[in-house]
Amino acid sequence: MKLKAKMKKDVTKVKVMFKSPMAGPEEAEKKKIKPEFIAHIVGKTNGKVVYEVSTSGFISKNPLFKFQFKGAKKGDMLEMTVTDNNGKVTSDSKKIK
Amino acid sequence: MERRNFLGFGAAAVAASMVPASLVAENFRETKPKMWQEATSAGAIKDMYGTTDGIEGKIKLKAPKLAENGGSIPINIKTSVDLESVAIFQDANPRSAVAAFTIPEGAIINYDLRMKMRKTSDVTVIGKGRDGKMYKTVQKVEVSIGGCGG
Repeated sequence: MKLKAKMKKDVTKVKVMFKSPMAGPEEAEKKKIKPEFIAHIVGKTNGKVVYEVSTSGFISKNPLFKFQFKGAKKGDMLEMTVTDNNGKVTSDSKKIK
Repeated sequence: MERRNFLGFGAAAVAASMVPASLVAENFRETKPKMWQEATSAGAIKDMYGTTDGIEGKIKLKAPKLAENGGSIPINIKTSVDLESVAIFQDANPRSAVAAFTIPEGAIINYDLRMKMRKTSDVTVIGKGRDGKMYKTVQKVEVSIGGCGG
């Protein structure tokens, strides 16, 4: 995943892009591949959840998400955890700039 | 760091349950499994919230009136209402539910994502406030070229 977290005043702005075909069952069948899509994303900072979304294959391929939150400071770590429809879990962290 | 689970989709439940409860608020893929299978927005919304009604005008939905690329339609949801969850539905694809946000307390609700639509339809954003009230916004998005796997 490509993760960018930048502070502007007291708000942390996050842009995160994942590599995923985001192919649900119907699309996968058409493309003759197995369904593969990100199903759940969690962002955590300082032990707290700052972002959480459940998703379907109707999100665009190689999806880009943006969100914002307060309560962090520069140098804090933002950790993103992604679970796909097959149960595969991926995690990455980035320092908030 | 990657962990693989071969148990199929139920494994997501295992993966999430391995994370301490304080770190995952609500994974709607697990708590509302039927919603993601519903073909229509009415059905999916009823499954998630029990009602399709909501106070209009409080959630700002930014979506193109005409999407030239149905495979990547930029959506922004913004509101100052203290919502605990908000979700996106459409009737352009074989099934309706697109995304469902679990909103942490004190969050800034300003979410961007990109979705697919095979054809023109309404996009419904509906959320539940911590005040127990429902809020919703509906906007028609026209699609000139279908993008959901077409």
